[in-house]
Amino acid sequence: MGLQTGDVLSMQDYRGGYGDADILHSVSLTVGEKEIVVIVGPNGAGKSTAMKAVFGLLKTRGGSIHFDGNDVSRWAPNKIVQSGICYVPQVENVFREMTVHENLEMGAFLRKGDLRDAFDRVYTLFPDLVAKRSALAGSLSGGQRQMVAMGRALMLDPKLLLLDEPTAGLSPRYMEQIFQITRDVRDAGVSILLVEQHAKQALAFADRGYVLAAGANRHTGTGAELLADREVAEMFLGG
Amino acid sequence: MIDLINFYIVPGLVLGSIYALGAIGITLVFSILRFAHLAHGDLATLGAFIAFAIVSGIGASPWAALPFAMIATAIVAVGIDKVFYDYLKERPKILTVMASLGMALMVRSVIQVVWGVDSESYARGIVRPENYFGIRLKDREILTVLAMVVLVVVLQLFLQKTKWGKAMRAMSDNPDLARLSGVDNRLVTIMTWSIVGGLCAAAGFFLGINSEVRSMMGWNMLLPMFAAAILGGVGRIEGAVLGGLIVGLAEELSVLILPSEYKAAMAFAILLFMLVVRPTGLLRGKVL
Repeated sequence: MGLQTGDVLSMQDYRGGYGDADILHSVSLTVGEKEIVVIVGPNGAGKSTAMKAVFGLLKTRGGSIHFDGNDVSRWAPNKIVQSGICYVPQVENVFREMTVHENLEMGAFLRKGDLRDAFDRVYTLFPDLVAKRSALAGSLSGGQRQMVAMGRALMLDPKLLLLDEPTAGLSPRYMEQIFQITRDVRDAGVSILLVEQHAKQALAFADRGYVLAAGANRHTGTGAELLADREVAEMFLGG
Repeated sequence: MIDLINFYIVPGLVLGSIYALGAIGITLVFSILRFAHLAHGDLATLGAFIAFAIVSGIGASPWAALPFAMIATAIVAVGIDKVFYDYLKERPKILTVMASLGMALMVRSVIQVVWGVDSESYARGIVRPENYFGIRLKDREILTVLAMVVLVVVLQLFLQKTKWGKAMRAMSDNPDLARLSGVDNRLVTIMTWSIVGGLCAAAGFFLGINSEVRSMMGWNMLLPMFAAAILGGVGRIEGAVLGGLIVGLAEELSVLILPSEYKAAMAFAILLFMLVVRPTGLLRGKVL
């Protein structure tokens, strides 16, 4: 299967893991332009691992990952960052002892030249951060910290943003806020692939979803389709 | 009162400035490379002897020799990391700590083979202190404190304002995220060792110029330097300075109430007290 037009990312029959053992046996997924795609599934299904595979943190043993016309499945993370994919880890995703502004600056570490446009873009997207620009990231609330984490990743102007459980440990109020931020980022022209523990809410909010189980695809569809699927509901969403 | 200042406070501040220079290096290694560097004192001794070699070899002034000693020690520090510590970086950190203890012995042995075990000094003769309103200060004492302040200001400006200084702080703060942001770990490591080596040489040089140059001088300074770093809060440059000054003053002032043989035990007492009462240090360390 080749790259379909409009797909920013296309992972086909991917197989790989951290060491010698495979964690992902056969995973296929695509992310279209300006699309929010969510990966859900039970614990140990390989959700976060699939995302890390995209970012080059795994040993690839089969299949392919096409991004922007290149097979990136054997590229190093550094090269992948420069090609336009940025990754926001689940935890420890800000520099706590550095200011908000410095956090954003670190996001653009690989970028040479004038950063003013990049700062403008991120501060426009997250106006809450403007007043906090000199505050230490570690002193911010959970939601604001997530904004810093996403802002840091957006400084390189990526085409695809990978979010690893952005709402983990946040209260429902913040969860809605993070989803809204994610939509804003998408509206700014960035495709988004995210992993979510809160499957129900995430599927309701995403354009499309993949249900993984035991390192392989189980179900695929739009968020609404998956939510309506009885098997999906019973297996992963607790009825 | 004047006597207290002349005999205790001034020597305490001078010694404290020397400890501060060493403690900054210890804190940098601990917060960026994540291990306790036990060869720190002996690296300072090496710096002091390199300066001595320049002074006795070509008859240069000790102050002219200092920058060269700092650069040479920085190169040695980077080299030691490349040849020894680098191989252990993926292993548990305690292995690197033990390796640095071995390195301490090796560096000291090399110094003793090359320069012998006798005391040396940068200049012969007695320097008379100048009198400033009753406070007697020698030029080298003023320069020691001044040099410490200048080095700290330059280091802080580098860490706060430059791209690579920020990269070093990022690596200390969150190494995984720093790597995700594209910071090259090897470059940060080289930069850290260069700075640490230079600071070591400065600490050894100032100890040497205010007393004498001996092969054990650095090793004897190791405990107070660690006490200073922990007292101030590991990972905090300003904490290392504060800690260094407090340990230096405490050692000198202890003579007022304790027999002078116990002077060296002050650092140990401070270290023990801090670890029990407030292990994060006065300025809330970032690493421990």
